[in-house]
Amino acid sequence: MEKNFIFAGFGGQGVLLAGTILANAFMLQGKNVTWYPCYGAEMRGGTVNCEIVVSDTEVSSVHKQDTDFALVLNQQSFDKFVQRVKSGGTIIANATLVALTKPRDDIKYVFAKMGDIANSLGSSKVTNMVSLGVLSEACSIVSKEYLAKAVELVLGEKKKQFLPLNLKALEAGCGALV
Amino acid sequence: MTDKVLIKGNYAIAQAAINAGCQCYFGYPITPQTEIGEYLSAKMPELGRGYVSAESEIGAINMVVGAAATGAKVMTSSSSCAVALMQEALSYACSDEVPVVLVNVMRAGPGLGYVYPAQGDYNQSVYGGGNGDYKIIVLAPATVQECIDFTYRAFYLARKYRNPVILLADGLLGQMMEPACFGENPYPEVDVSSWALTGAKGRDGKAIYSCARDEKAHIQKIQDLFKKFELISKNETSFEEFETKDADIVLTAFGSMTRNIKAAVRVLRERGLKVGGFRPITLSPFPHKRIYELASEGKDFAVVEMNMGQMFKDVKYSTEGKSSVSLINRPCGEWLSVEEIVASVEKILESKKEGIYASSI
Amino acid sequence: MQAVFSTPEVMKKDFRFTFCPGCDHGIAVRLVAELIDEMNLKEKTICSTCVGCSVFLYDFLNIDCVEAPHGRACASATGVKRTNPDKFVFTYQGDGDFASIGYAESMHTAIRGEKVSAICINNTTYGMTGGQLGPTTMMGQVTTTSPFGRNKEYYGYPMKIAEQIALCDGTAFSARVALDSVPHINQAKQALRKAFEVQLEGLGFGFVEILSSCPTNWHMTPEQAHDRVKNEMIPVFPLGIFKDLTENK
Repeated sequence: MEKNFIFAGFGGQGVLLAGTILANAFMLQGKNVTWYPCYGAEMRGGTVNCEIVVSDTEVSSVHKQDTDFALVLNQQSFDKFVQRVKSGGTIIANATLVALTKPRDDIKYVFAKMGDIANSLGSSKVTNMVSLGVLSEACSIVSKEYLAKAVELVLGEKKKQFLPLNLKALEAGCGALV
Repeated sequence: MTDKVLIKGNYAIAQAAINAGCQCYFGYPITPQTEIGEYLSAKMPELGRGYVSAESEIGAINMVVGAAATGAKVMTSSSSCAVALMQEALSYACSDEVPVVLVNVMRAGPGLGYVYPAQGDYNQSVYGGGNGDYKIIVLAPATVQECIDFTYRAFYLARKYRNPVILLADGLLGQMMEPACFGENPYPEVDVSSWALTGAKGRDGKAIYSCARDEKAHIQKIQDLFKKFELISKNETSFEEFETKDADIVLTAFGSMTRNIKAAVRVLRERGLKVGGFRPITLSPFPHKRIYELASEGKDFAVVEMNMGQMFKDVKYSTEGKSSVSLINRPCGEWLSVEEIVASVEKILESKKEGIYASSI
Repeated sequence: MQAVFSTPEVMKKDFRFTFCPGCDHGIAVRLVAELIDEMNLKEKTICSTCVGCSVFLYDFLNIDCVEAPHGRACASATGVKRTNPDKFVFTYQGDGDFASIGYAESMHTAIRGEKVSAICINNTTYGMTGGQLGPTTMMGQVTTTSPFGRNKEYYGYPMKIAEQIALCDGTAFSARVALDSVPHINQAKQALRKAFEVQLEGLGFGFVEILSSCPTNWHMTPEQAHDRVKNEMIPVFPLGIFKDLTENK
């Protein structure tokens, strides 16, 4: 079994960090995993994405042409990556910034107002954490518990003060689908 | 040190260099390897070790040569077009017999190229761009774990053989994260006291220089260097082989493309095709002998690489015409996918003749 | 009987200078050797040599030397010093090596304030390759690659090395000296001593530019060559100390 995920959004929306947390969660689960980033030449404001591949065996290609899951936080990323989702795959979109359209009928769509949820928690900066919660609900491949452990691991001692808010956002994301 | 951590290839190399005892890092920024210098600029001062932000790659590599001549464990890192600037010093370092460790995280060329991943520095690393007859040891990792393991090995081999070592990674490996374990540096310390410059205390002065003073001595010097490399070849040539026993065709790749050919072999085996894989770990010394043996058994080869056919020539040379060698390649950018490799191999098996199966995006 | 002149201890016992007759390299090397003896530096010295006539230093001095590629001696010296801060590290280079092909390496070694000493022999030409135009070739000077003399249209201007090095914040000492007369030789030795001392005291980069004759490529007798240093070079390349951090101590 090998599955891949693309996380995409504006620079600054924290998609690389969200991807890093997902990859750590898979590592904690004892899986083989890779994380590979892709960004434009700009340091700020451009689009950015990263790709996570999880596998029971050694990960093959770390950068693939299509994807099982796409997690997109803005319209530009939706438009680009909706075309790259495998038939039968899933796209998970931040409905705060992405219009509710379904350009293909062979994939599954999950829309959640991730930005609004984050704002209601007090900071749009945790939109990425909300998105991870939504992802964990939408695909059965990663559990909330491992994601929470991964958040703690990635934030580490240095950013420990942000842990409660991030965990809250993750939790809120998990509930967003119900 | 035994726990797995999710870490970027570049950071893994930098931390492994620290674990291997690197005393000073000399470097100049270039994408996609800048994180190595950034990481070490933070860590080395904490450890009371050295970090020099060099004025250029020419400066950096010559600082490394100077420091290595005193027996110090030092390194630099760079990428493709900037490694081109270091070729003069590498030629000197081979002739000087100083233990240089150079990490090249490849980007696309020629010229400035681009930050896309590529494997276009096979020739530059293995054959060198410097003048004269010299050989460098070249290690090509395929995973972040190997970035660590081969960094340890690079420091060891450089000092064991008094020869420059290049760790040839690519932008994909440098930028990707993967769980890896640092462990302990498994190699013993090498005694460098017989040649290292330490000041002429209680002995005559020693000079480390690239040229001998007359023709006869210079010929002897080059012959000695090549004898040494024969020994390196005998002791250190390494490769990885999978499913070759009954294979009709052997997919061959180096560096991170290894992952893709392994997956392609799995897919092709599932389809009932007798396909194996071969991956040189040391690009120099190159596993000529093993490739010749496989070719002698009638196994064909398909070399899969992200360049215009650089390792292809070495595989072709190694087979000595005993079997056919095809090339599946793209110059740079999007790594050849498992599906593309599988499709090309099926074409090769169908046509039963060697050819070039170049792919564009 | 009292010895009034002898070979410095650090000179190799069987050395024979291979410099051309009348070349000032011999005097410069001897001054360096005397200072290594007097300052008791032999056992802690590592020299980074260069390419050009200056490279032969390792044939004459019984010290540890590492050969750098053309122009890279200061970079190599940086590597040696950063990993061996307790050693005495110096370079001995020509003007082409130090100030033309190696300009970036030399300037940045000064800018970083590396605790090394650099000696640059300025003889206004590339000596080893047979007298071509170099960074210090004077206006009007005929060389094998400026057969009609240096003019600004084709070649630009000669470079003032010691002044430029003095401008770097990392430089602790920068001076220009000459070897055309006994008083100047004595001054040269004092300057070299300072350039060594600032390194040993950890003050920064120590630099001495030595105006030096090249009778062979100048097509002159040794005496005429020294007259040229005195009458033509010194007016253009003034002698003096351009920076000395020890003054304020």
